[in-house]
Amino acid sequence: MDRRDFIKLTAVTGTSAALASCGNPEHQLIRFVPEEDIIPGIAAWKPSVCPVCSAGCAVNARVMDADIETVRNGQRGVVRMNVAKKLEGLPKDPISRGGLCARGQAAIQMTYHPDRIVQPLKREGARGTGQFKPIGWDEAIAELVSKLDALAASNDQKSLAIVARPRRSRRSELLAEFARRFGGPPPIAFDLFGDDVLRRANAISFDHDQLPTFDLARARYVISFGADFLGTWNSPVAQNAAYGEMRQGRPGIRGRFVQVESRMTTTGASADEWIPVKPGTEGVLALGLVHLMNRGPERTAPQAGAASRTDAARPFQGGDDEYTPQRVEQITGVPVKRVERIAKELADLRPAVAIVGGPPLAHTNAMFTALAVNALNTALGSVNQPGGIFFTPGAAIQAPASSPQTPYTSLGTTKVLLIDDANPVYTSPTAWKVKDAIANIPFIASFASFVDDTSVFADLILPDHSFLESWVQSSAESGSLEAASTVAEPVMKPIHDTRATAEVLIEVAGKLKAPVSLPWKDAEELAKSAQLPAPSNQRPATSPRPPAPGPRFEEPRFDGDAAQYPFHFLPYLSPAFGDGSSAHLPWLQEMPDPLTSAMWSSWVEMNPQTAQKLNVRDGDLVDLTSTQGTLRVPAVIFPGIAPDIVAMPVGQGHEHFTRYASGRGANAISLIAPIAEPETGAVAWAATRVKVARAADANGTLILFAAEMRERPHEYKVR
Amino acid sequence: MPHRWGMAVDLDRCTGCGACVTACHAENNIPTVGDSQAARGRAMHWIRVERYWEGEYPDVTLKFRPVMCQQCDAAPCEPVCPTYASHHTDEGLNAQIYNRCIGTRYCANACPYNVRFFDFFHPQWPKPLDAQLNPDVSVREVGVMEKCTFCVQRIHAAAIDAKAANRELKDGEIQPACVQSCSAKALVFGDLNDPDSEVSKLSRSDRGHKLLDGLGTLPKVTYLNRPQA
Repeated sequence: MDRRDFIKLTAVTGTSAALASCGNPEHQLIRFVPEEDIIPGIAAWKPSVCPVCSAGCAVNARVMDADIETVRNGQRGVVRMNVAKKLEGLPKDPISRGGLCARGQAAIQMTYHPDRIVQPLKREGARGTGQFKPIGWDEAIAELVSKLDALAASNDQKSLAIVARPRRSRRSELLAEFARRFGGPPPIAFDLFGDDVLRRANAISFDHDQLPTFDLARARYVISFGADFLGTWNSPVAQNAAYGEMRQGRPGIRGRFVQVESRMTTTGASADEWIPVKPGTEGVLALGLVHLMNRGPERTAPQAGAASRTDAARPFQGGDDEYTPQRVEQITGVPVKRVERIAKELADLRPAVAIVGGPPLAHTNAMFTALAVNALNTALGSVNQPGGIFFTPGAAIQAPASSPQTPYTSLGTTKVLLIDDANPVYTSPTAWKVKDAIANIPFIASFASFVDDTSVFADLILPDHSFLESWVQSSAESGSLEAASTVAEPVMKPIHDTRATAEVLIEVAGKLKAPVSLPWKDAEELAKSAQLPAPSNQRPATSPRPPAPGPRFEEPRFDGDAAQYPFHFLPYLSPAFGDGSSAHLPWLQEMPDPLTSAMWSSWVEMNPQTAQKLNVRDGDLVDLTSTQGTLRVPAVIFPGIAPDIVAMPVGQGHEHFTRYASGRGANAISLIAPIAEPETGAVAWAATRVKVARAADANGTLILFAAEMRERPHEYKVR
Repeated sequence: MPHRWGMAVDLDRCTGCGACVTACHAENNIPTVGDSQAARGRAMHWIRVERYWEGEYPDVTLKFRPVMCQQCDAAPCEPVCPTYASHHTDEGLNAQIYNRCIGTRYCANACPYNVRFFDFFHPQWPKPLDAQLNPDVSVREVGVMEKCTFCVQRIHAAAIDAKAANRELKDGEIQPACVQSCSAKALVFGDLNDPDSEVSKLSRSDRGHKLLDGLGTLPKVTYLNRPQA
């Protein structure tokens, strides 16, 4: 070998050694045989249903090929497969009509989340530490079967508990059937921010035990009492679409919109007129308007289809006569002149519709408020009339939840707990001690896709497919004037070793020593099946009657003495995270909040005057203390809130919820006192009082996107 | 006649919901930067919703304004670029050629609308989040400037489809991701050279105005006022 060859040889070996050591590890993975129906670079569109909130928007998923790292038969490798790339609204769906909200679009990240549970897990360390070891599906199912068999053997089927998300879907039916046929109590499906009061009120007023649909597109006047219907309430995408038409969809007609609330929501920001009222007095204003329409100078002849005007307030004790403009001013703080003007506008601009939801229905007198706004709709003649209030036909009837006042008390005697798509540890008031109850249950199995505040306590996790990998089915409760029902096949094949919860339950049911037979054989059959007739004992035979001797305004009760706790505490559903269930999605964490531009943060909003009194600037830390505990959060100075109210978005403050949400911010729910609306037992989540104290200078935990933009004139002298 | 792409934003329809912001992230492979970088002002939102408070409680109003690249005809970002990365296309778009960009950030300094974003880091999508990336849009690497493109990939795709079918582009056929997602239909996109297009009609509205009109940047985005009630 001469010198020249030696140099060549070293160069070659050196280069190949370098290449071998710095290669992409991906390229060392086995490549599985790609799917056969791939057309490279060409997108297909497949329908599905958005799982994020209960509106049930049908989505259109853009499907293209991508390399996915996966495990096949225990071997890690890469496979080229068709996967969802983007979610859009399905144009022919009567709910989404082609649009989709921010949360719906971010739902795709549930499928590709880096912290998703990719295979069955068994608890390894102490309970609640989040230490799990991967196991196989056979072992996982055998374990669940043995625990259920043990319950059956000791004739203790009543000690089974199922905690699920309240949804009007076949999935809820499956869980209910499983519980019923096994011999256990019905599933606990509880939503802290649910609309139990409004459903009950609608059953009383209109004989429909469901949320209403508003024909905004044809309305000329809309008055909303606290409902954030363009943000988070009811069916926001459908309502946004109709709202756009209400404003600019009819040549020469622009609908007028008035919002009544005590903290400005995104919906309130869009209103022509924003009317702040004292918390819990919204119903008085509604009845005051009914009164003026009946007796006042604005009285006009009833329109066709309108109920006789004088009847609208008949269910109320004393009728509407008690609610004179003077008394309305005294109670609500809205001046007489303004009440009279609104009544005149309501009389002049028809069709008109009234909406109620959110904080007004989270007070102890919520039933009065809901019935009062229903009476206003009756007086306006807007029930089932163009531009008015409707009820979506064909909506599945949901079995009533177990008493919402104490949904989780039975967990104290539970021996086997199954959790499906619910996070009760996070979404329960502190006083319920749900965390302690769950930590003491002998065996917990969860179908969670993520380790969250609740599934961290599980002994066994049997991860479900994501919605894009599943058969999905939904029949919308509201949002559409026509029946809206969607059934869709999986958009893509599962990327992880997960299984459809429906099929796991069906398999478990069949493997029990005393097998439980379910009327479906797999997830596809379940999604396509007709609704089961509801067992008769779950529905009241007659529609509920108004509380005797008829509702009458009572001052709302609050938890906490006004002298010691001078501020009303208003938790509200975050536009990004809702009740916290989408806090793990990075797009939503980094989406600037529409009203504050805050990202990755939790915060408390206070009036500029209040802030000045407390010597608080944007980002300074304050301590919020209710009878339930104390939270330390940064302040945001917020012009659209009454000086005696502080508001805080719900959604952050998870102890466990993936790398993006764990330990971030504070959980507003933990301050809520478990004070109940007496008719339904629903939690009056806006009825807590707090005290506020400045705690420390800003420490950078409040992150604003628009921090450098001069959007906030209260901080700058505008000349 | 070449197209001249423009947008109309009806502030009377916009409810500030933020759907457009997330839609833009999903379509254009915009990375999330995380809390500590976001706190340094490095979050990237090609479209954002601005809010303007007026008055004091209880007579307080709040107005939303979605702001994206205004696709100016006299764009201040273009002449300052030393490498012609920031340039004007035949169809009137302020385009950014990423592999020409050397990251001087002059364009961001020159832009009065604050709609250009610099990639301070290599974008990260922890696996398998990368599976959501749109193959039609290039991922920008560290050191380049990125901005709203009016979803030029959708414009091109529609143009190719139309050409293949031997027909003209139809008004409303092209929808950038923000326009597509907007359930209130506040955003309308189309050809300003077609006087009958929806966007042309809206741009001629009495309610119409341009953002920072006095600067003479000649934006192709027209905002339609919310009527004072």
